[in-house]
Amino acid sequence: MAEVQKDAPIKSVQVEALVVMKIVKHCSTSFPTVATGSIVGMDNNGAIEVTNSFQFPSVDVSSSDSHSDASSLAAAAPRAKANIVYQNEMIRHLKEVNVDANNVGWYTSATMGNFINMSFIENQYHYQKENEKTVALVHDVSRSSQGALSLRAFKLSPEFMTAYKEAKFTTESLRNSKLTYKDIFVELPVNVHNSHLLTSFLHQIPAPPKSAEIPMPASLDDIRRDPVQIPAHPGFESLDLSIDPFLEKTCDLLLDSIESHYTDLNNHQYYQRQLTREQFKITQWQAKRKAENAARLAAKQSPLPEDEWQRLFKLPQEPSRLEGMLNARQVDQYARQVDAFTANITAKMFAVRGNLLPE
Amino acid sequence: MSRFFRGGDDSSTDSSSEEEEVYTSEEEEEKVQAEDESSSEEESDEEESDEESSSDEEEGAKKKGASRFLQSDDESEEEEEEQSDDEATTKVKSAKDKRFDELESTISQIQNGQKINDWSLIANEFDKLNRQVVKLQDGSKAPKSYIKAIADLEDFMNETLAKQKVTPKKMNATNARGLNAVKQRIRKNNKEYQTQIDAYRKDADAFMESDDEVAAPKVVSKVRFEAPVVSAEQQEEDDKGFSTVDSRGKVVQYTPESILKHLRAIIESRGKKNTDRLEQIKVMETLNKVVPITPYQKIRVLQTLISARFDLGAGGAAQMPLDQWKAAERDLASLLEILEKEKDHVVVEGAEEWDDDDKLPTIPEGEKYLKVPGSVVSLIERLDDELTRSLQAIDPHTSEYIDRLTDEGSLYNTIFRGLLYYEHLRKDASLEVPQESLNRIIQRRLDHVYYKPAQVVKILEENAWKQVSAEADSEITSRSQSGDAGKLINILSNYLFENSEGIIRARAMLCQIYFLALHDEYYKSRDLMLTSHLQETIANFDIATQILYNRTLVQVGLCAFRKGLVYDAQNTLQEICGSGRQKELLAQGVMIQRYSQVTPEQERLEKQRQLPFHMHINLELLECVYLTCSMLLEIPLLAQTGSSPDVKKRIISKTYRRMLEYHERQIFTGPPENTRDHVMQASKALAAGEWKKATDFIHSIKIWDLMPNTEGIKTMLAKQIQEEGLRTYLFTYAPFYDTLAIATLSSMFELDSRKVSAVVSKMISHEELAAALDQVTETVIFRKGVELSRLQSLALTLSDKASSLIETNERTLEQKTQGSANAFSRKDNRGGGQRGGGQRGGRGGARTGGNPQRQAGGTQFTGGALGNAVRG
Repeated sequence: MAEVQKDAPIKSVQVEALVVMKIVKHCSTSFPTVATGSIVGMDNNGAIEVTNSFQFPSVDVSSSDSHSDASSLAAAAPRAKANIVYQNEMIRHLKEVNVDANNVGWYTSATMGNFINMSFIENQYHYQKENEKTVALVHDVSRSSQGALSLRAFKLSPEFMTAYKEAKFTTESLRNSKLTYKDIFVELPVNVHNSHLLTSFLHQIPAPPKSAEIPMPASLDDIRRDPVQIPAHPGFESLDLSIDPFLEKTCDLLLDSIESHYTDLNNHQYYQRQLTREQFKITQWQAKRKAENAARLAAKQSPLPEDEWQRLFKLPQEPSRLEGMLNARQVDQYARQVDAFTANITAKMFAVRGNLLPE
Repeated sequence: MSRFFRGGDDSSTDSSSEEEEVYTSEEEEEKVQAEDESSSEEESDEEESDEESSSDEEEGAKKKGASRFLQSDDESEEEEEEQSDDEATTKVKSAKDKRFDELESTISQIQNGQKINDWSLIANEFDKLNRQVVKLQDGSKAPKSYIKAIADLEDFMNETLAKQKVTPKKMNATNARGLNAVKQRIRKNNKEYQTQIDAYRKDADAFMESDDEVAAPKVVSKVRFEAPVVSAEQQEEDDKGFSTVDSRGKVVQYTPESILKHLRAIIESRGKKNTDRLEQIKVMETLNKVVPITPYQKIRVLQTLISARFDLGAGGAAQMPLDQWKAAERDLASLLEILEKEKDHVVVEGAEEWDDDDKLPTIPEGEKYLKVPGSVVSLIERLDDELTRSLQAIDPHTSEYIDRLTDEGSLYNTIFRGLLYYEHLRKDASLEVPQESLNRIIQRRLDHVYYKPAQVVKILEENAWKQVSAEADSEITSRSQSGDAGKLINILSNYLFENSEGIIRARAMLCQIYFLALHDEYYKSRDLMLTSHLQETIANFDIATQILYNRTLVQVGLCAFRKGLVYDAQNTLQEICGSGRQKELLAQGVMIQRYSQVTPEQERLEKQRQLPFHMHINLELLECVYLTCSMLLEIPLLAQTGSSPDVKKRIISKTYRRMLEYHERQIFTGPPENTRDHVMQASKALAAGEWKKATDFIHSIKIWDLMPNTEGIKTMLAKQIQEEGLRTYLFTYAPFYDTLAIATLSSMFELDSRKVSAVVSKMISHEELAAALDQVTETVIFRKGVELSRLQSLALTLSDKASSLIETNERTLEQKTQGSANAFSRKDNRGGGQRGGGQRGGRGGARTGGNPQRQAGGTQFTGGALGNAVRG
């Protein structure tokens, strides 16, 4: 059985409602600082069941007043040494109270999907290299506040894992492995699971009566025919268009991404210029050495070695293309987000127009 | 052999060396033949050496006798026609003979070399021979022995070469190198003596013998000062006066006849080490005083004297001593005077050198002129350069500088006379005076006037005309037009433009533009500048021309400012002043290089390029004008752009912005001290709408006094500040008004209401202001809500960035797939698609642009695009 489990790749993630609530609470209280925590649960035939979570202890940032410091510290928390110890301790305690005590990953908060960065990769790699069956749950606070819960699960693709292990992100290796920005992550479907107990409890939440006078049910059949009405999801939030804030935010983030893309581009161009210069020097040197050798040959002297250039010249190190890849993935993420958003909004707009236009 | 025979009868001649020469050369000829057969080499060698030694002895004895003889009695040795020559001469004979000896021995060395086929020896000896023969050269005639030697050597060389082709055996390297060297040198060298060599080749014996009679005495005569046309008085004069003693304690006497010889000696020693130049100049000055009787001599003496004076200044950075410059200037003037007087003597470049020092040159048959080699224009140019150099070196704030500057007047006169002279020469087509000389001298004249105000030019011209004779007139710049400086410049530069090419043409044009700009002819100068198309090609010119271009550009900018054209002025000055390297660009001072290492060589060159102080354009004034213009343009722009992100990049002057930022960062600002402070504080006041304060600040800048018509400039500035203040006010405070009465604005800025409404209308029509002008109630009605929302401006920025990314990608693709047709076609397709997309977008924009509400925003495209999106 164990073998079967090992072979079966993860297909989906099932999150307990409790965990969702805990994550949401943790993330929104610490917003806008990034919040991270560990999730525990077990792997059940290719589906990871997340049954509990706990947050990493928040780093005391009173000494460092900078906000970004706190964020980066929190983002780096899952792989911090102190936290690994803490996590193990936590898991041991959980085991004692008979909770699933397998670490199945970690969770993080995000704003408008801006979670794809080096830190995220490092964290996930840190977990995934130990245990193949770990996921990262991303809770997008900003998007959740707009109505629909945004909780997504990611893991690194195996190809990316191997590439990252070798830390080879040169143009050459990327071309060979055909690794593109699309292949960094594998997104897994997330199901929220309620226990039967909870479901039945939900069904029994007493709703306020629709009218002051409630006709008493005459018989048991009446009750069966007309079950208790569960109130619909409350509020008008889902009708809120809020085009401008959303798009503005996305635009800002996109511009940031483009900025960093340009930085990356400049780095790479600098490298290329450097490379051509070096190569030119090397060819010059080689030609010179060849001519020298020809002359020496004519003078019946032993030729000088022709591969000395490897010692004399040092080719510049190619900058890692990982940043660029991540950036591309991030932009892709934003684009999808906007796409989904506009699809939603457009529908709403049509609805509004249908109502507003005179018949 | 003839030797004995000849030896017998040369009792009274001193041509023993000649004798010897005949002998040896004949001998040599035999040898060559012998060698050809390559049989009796040994023997002949011995024979040769024997003969050599015996002849040497013989010669020495003879020489002694001869010289003794010579010393005792001058007259008897005279064989020449001039029996009257009884003048005391200096004896240099023995030295001469010694030289002949050396020549002989060298020749024999060469012969030895030939025998053993040692070409490196031959090459060395051949060089030595050539050096020796220069000293012995008698006019264009070389000693016969030399001719014989080189002719033989050439033959031998040809033979060897021919042999080498046939035989596979190679010469060793040194030998081959020697052969090559000799080959090259002989080819070159023998050309000079071709006629003599030919004569020798034709009939060797006859050549040697015939020359014996003619040339032998010549050799003698060389050391004697002959006076073919000496008059009695002059001789007396000689005896009385000049018994100068030369460096070796010998009595040197300067006679008119000896002038040319002295000159030659001086010319030869030129450029050599250990030559006392001052001494030479003294010698020549005396020579000049010795009344050179013929104009030819005068001309020669003056030419040499002037160049010798220039030599003093040559080498190193030291400029010419003042007195020498003055003297050179005087000499040049007298040279020109002589040339003007003696119309049959002309100084032209590339004339035949008159080699015979003994005879005075005469005008050749069938020609009108006696041509003297030399170049007046070069001398004038040199004189000009030296003045510039000395001006560069003098501290401009001393009276010395001013004193020196007065010399420019006389220099200008000289240039002017030189110009007249060249015009005169040009009249005669047979002289073939190159156009270039005339161009050069006109260019010099133009260089001296273009940066001067009209009044100064007029005075210069008047002085120049005063010193030439009344009937003289210039073809190019006639006397009648000399009063009008503008016309003069116009004529000069037009002449250059028509008759020259390349750099001179560009310079002429630039000078004219500069002059026009200096005299407030803005439109003319600007049009000329634009039609010249120099801004595209200027980078290809030399640095001096680039500097002139920069100067002209600055002058045009200043001119525009004086005309009140702030925008044009700022635009023109931007390139020079925005760089922060005005000093370097205008060659008015060397910048201290902080990062780059400048080699001393570069530094020296740069120092040489510096303009003398009187040609400088005042840098502080320039900065002041530039900053003021920038202020007038930037402050309204700053108010207009406000804080919106996309327009932020529109920066007119980076330098100004930087200064403004720096100024704003200061916590405490004291009262302004320098020009920059004044402008910055004025900017601050203007930005706050306090135009009166701004005007006060600007007006209190002292440097405006340097501008002609200071008051006019100040009023112009005040007016500009008022207008720009109004614009700034409207930009800044428009969001807070619904309506604004024009009368209020007009009282606020003390402009009349017509002007105010004109400014407002202009802003409305340029879509800088979202407002309407109600003419009935005389109010400006502002419209609300037409500014871009943050999302819109962000989207605009995003689209900009995206398109630039696409461009970068396409460029990369193009690079990667160079020349591959497939890639190109793919790219084309894609490009087409994009273009299509762009067009669609454009159409969409236009369509919604029809929507009146959107149009008012002034950004039809965004409004339209967004409208489309909203409507789905």
